[in-house]
Amino acid sequence: MIGFLGDLFINAAFVSAILAAIGYFIYAQNDTNKHFKISNWLFGLQGVFLLIASGLLLYVILTNQFNFYYVYNYTSSDLQLKYLISAFWGGQEGSFMLWILFSIIIGLGLMKWTREPYRGPVLFFLTLTQIFLLSMVSGISIGDFQLGASPFRSLAEAMPNAPFLQSNPDFVPQDGKGLNDLLKSPWMMIHPPILFVGFAMMTVPYCFAMAALWKRKYNEWVDHALPWTLGANVALLTAIFLGGYWAYVTLSFGGYWAWDPVENASFVPWLLGTAGIHTMIIQRKSSTSQKASIIFAILAYVAIVYETFLTRSGILADSSVHSFVDLGLYSQLVVFMGAVTIIGLGLFFYRYKELPSQENESKFLSREFMTFAGAMMLFLIGLVIILGTSSPIIGRLFVENPTPPEVSFYNEWTMPLAIIAAIMTVLGQFLFWKRQDAESLAADLLWPVAITCVATLATIIIGDVRDIYYMVFLLAAWFAVIGNSVIMYRLVRKKPLLIGGALSHVGFGVLLLGILASSAYNEMLLDESVKKYNAAIERGEVTDEQGFQKTQKVDFLELKLNQPKIIDDRYKVTYEGYTLKDQERPGQQEYRIKFEPADGEGKQFVLNPQVYPMLSSSSQSDIQWSVDPDVRTGLMSDIYLYVAGSSFVERRNDEAKEAAAKRRGNASTAEDDSVQVQEVNIGRGETIKVGAFDLTFNDYEEADDQQLQDSTIVAVRANLELTQRGSDSSVPIRPLFSIYVKDGENWTYAPPISIPGYDEASIQFTSVDPSNGGIDLKIRGIDTQVEDQWVLLVAEEKPFISIVWLGTFLLMAGFSISIFRHWDRERKKST
Amino acid sequence: MKPKLIIGIIAIVGFTSLLMYNFGNSISTYVNFEQAAGMEGAHVVGQWDDSEEYGFSMETKQFSFYMEDEDGNVRRVVYPKPKPNNFEEADQLVVIGEMQNGVFYANDMLMKCPSKYNNADEAEFQKAMPSKS
Repeated sequence: MIGFLGDLFINAAFVSAILAAIGYFIYAQNDTNKHFKISNWLFGLQGVFLLIASGLLLYVILTNQFNFYYVYNYTSSDLQLKYLISAFWGGQEGSFMLWILFSIIIGLGLMKWTREPYRGPVLFFLTLTQIFLLSMVSGISIGDFQLGASPFRSLAEAMPNAPFLQSNPDFVPQDGKGLNDLLKSPWMMIHPPILFVGFAMMTVPYCFAMAALWKRKYNEWVDHALPWTLGANVALLTAIFLGGYWAYVTLSFGGYWAWDPVENASFVPWLLGTAGIHTMIIQRKSSTSQKASIIFAILAYVAIVYETFLTRSGILADSSVHSFVDLGLYSQLVVFMGAVTIIGLGLFFYRYKELPSQENESKFLSREFMTFAGAMMLFLIGLVIILGTSSPIIGRLFVENPTPPEVSFYNEWTMPLAIIAAIMTVLGQFLFWKRQDAESLAADLLWPVAITCVATLATIIIGDVRDIYYMVFLLAAWFAVIGNSVIMYRLVRKKPLLIGGALSHVGFGVLLLGILASSAYNEMLLDESVKKYNAAIERGEVTDEQGFQKTQKVDFLELKLNQPKIIDDRYKVTYEGYTLKDQERPGQQEYRIKFEPADGEGKQFVLNPQVYPMLSSSSQSDIQWSVDPDVRTGLMSDIYLYVAGSSFVERRNDEAKEAAAKRRGNASTAEDDSVQVQEVNIGRGETIKVGAFDLTFNDYEEADDQQLQDSTIVAVRANLELTQRGSDSSVPIRPLFSIYVKDGENWTYAPPISIPGYDEASIQFTSVDPSNGGIDLKIRGIDTQVEDQWVLLVAEEKPFISIVWLGTFLLMAGFSISIFRHWDRERKKST
Repeated sequence: MKPKLIIGIIAIVGFTSLLMYNFGNSISTYVNFEQAAGMEGAHVVGQWDDSEEYGFSMETKQFSFYMEDEDGNVRRVVYPKPKPNNFEEADQLVVIGEMQNGVFYANDMLMKCPSKYNNADEAEFQKAMPSKS
């Protein structure tokens, strides 16, 4: 029933959108206000329908209705509320719906604020994109063709060939597959929605550019579009930042950026949108670059659709760590992309001849030229990234079955372009606020250049920079920071709301500094012996048993329990054990790694990396562990580490394997002789090591159980405490020792007590040692050898990550200030 | 023709050809284990052979497993990092590295999971069924 209603409302929204688009089209053509009103109602209706459908989807998710494929596939009954809500956008269908919802909200805003003559066409194009998006979740079948994939598909509809569903179509699984463990993160709550806000907002400049072409009004549209574009920019940047931070602190990706196609998918539209912002600003100021503004506005949205296609069509499946599986939307996505591109560029070239073009060439040293060139740099960077991301398609020009490009391809092309852009930001800003010729500009730049040189030299000396390329990089980045700061300082005194641009450019320079410092000076934390080994590998001196040269270095830090190691003469690192208590995820261990300054001066700190079994994919015999790194954030450098292995994990794996072997029944022969038996003597208050455990004998205890024989003459229990060495959780064990009389003889009754969690292991209290007050115990099933407790870490020192974040924040702040400035102006104009 | 235009065209053509040339060099094609011999940074696609021993060795600090490439060659793969999350879940692996003496030394490894966003496949679904019936 709910499924039917859900599909009904989605398709009702779909139909409303189509009707609204027709209405807006007529309104845009004929200026008939009646059609505008009707379309607005239809648009609103579409929103209501979709809201109801989303509510229904959320309802079936929250009530665990596993007969729905979407619910079964992304949730399970043990999920916390926050992750159940996130599951709404955990899959393709729900995330499409979220995207449309945001797009509708933006449409309402456009309805209110957009003025003639753009109003009609803008809403027409916005609704058009919503029709395409709605078609992805419609789920209606026309003959053999299915339009989109509905989130309300039942299991039987989703998997028609599953034999058990054919025999019993009403089969409902007891539990769902659950959300992927890696997605169970608070970041999952916030990162995707912000990303889709950005996607939805980036549609607006596209709509305005199309409206401008339609209505042949090529100038005023940028005023309207600018705040929206800036807003889209801030949203995308925030989403990119959150994604990068998420990847860094909770997924063990090892860094904040990996040039993964999905990361690029949000970065390229941002670059093109930013390029568009530059040309729009210069168009406002000087009535030039009309063509470029339109083109960038179109391309930014096309990039969003193109990257949506890349990540959702399954085409990137080989090259990305996180792309979706194809839902059969491939051809629909191609149509969407083709339509957006052809309509956009088609209309652009249709009107090309009448588009205003510049009569006089801009001089090299003019704000027009510099701003435009800056936009071109951003465009080129975007182009390089699109090319790299498209390797599965474009790479076929070179080889069959192409691999993604090496990471160095991205770095080698984007960084030099960024260096040029950094220098341009300063020239552009100095020319932007004051017309200057070469001479006055040179005079104006004298101090900024001087300070830049000093800062760069200081950095080179302090950072011991040897590489020429890095030096140039530093120079450009410092120049951007200092030059733009000077401009910002001047503007603050005149009119603070104007500093948006300068502040963003400072942020860009800071970001470049951060990128260089954090990537060039990343260092593994290793102890001396490993370092020597790696040096020997580098010299080619290490060979394996067959005499072949070994080439792989070791990048691990191994620590034994409570045995500190000195690293780089800077840190004394100690593994202090782990805790199993009060964990959010079942079976999780939280390790304690203590860092102290090697010279004993300064603060110490503890890092708590975690290891947990992935519930969605583990089985009893095969536990799949996942890790959660811990990061110590510092102003100068971060310490980043995660647990690659530990004695605890290894033992649990062995146990699982043994248990599995036993279930299969082939371990029965080995069992008898493999149980290890040891006898130990332990004094009162003493702790001894047994296998992987610490065993403490606290004291004797009175035994007053019913278990005892009537004729018992002596009965005592030992109060023992068994701790997995290194952990903080222990179990009490209280084995009994008693003597009773039967047939005139003394008999002992001392049953073995099994150890909780270890079916095969037991402890038996065999006798009291009268000589020292201690006791004798017989322990079965625990290793006779004392096991070392260890942890294997991947630990890195990452300098100046904080600078990367700082640069990002400054960029966001700069763009946000610009939104206020342009929004403010627009509002004043409309009243 | 204006000289600026000519310079512009030359710049664009120069930039594009250099970019494409570099792009062409930085991508390679997926190969099988036999073709990978003697290659640097070879990309091999295949599946984890779970019938053989696998795991992380504390002595060598390496993760090793057997992989069957798409043409059916099975080789041992050595990876100097911990076992990645999701390793067992992956239905396809891409290892990047060098072939040496019949052993593939991977510097990098990508896993193609049914989806990172967790799509059900029918086989798994059947396994879950007996609990109900």
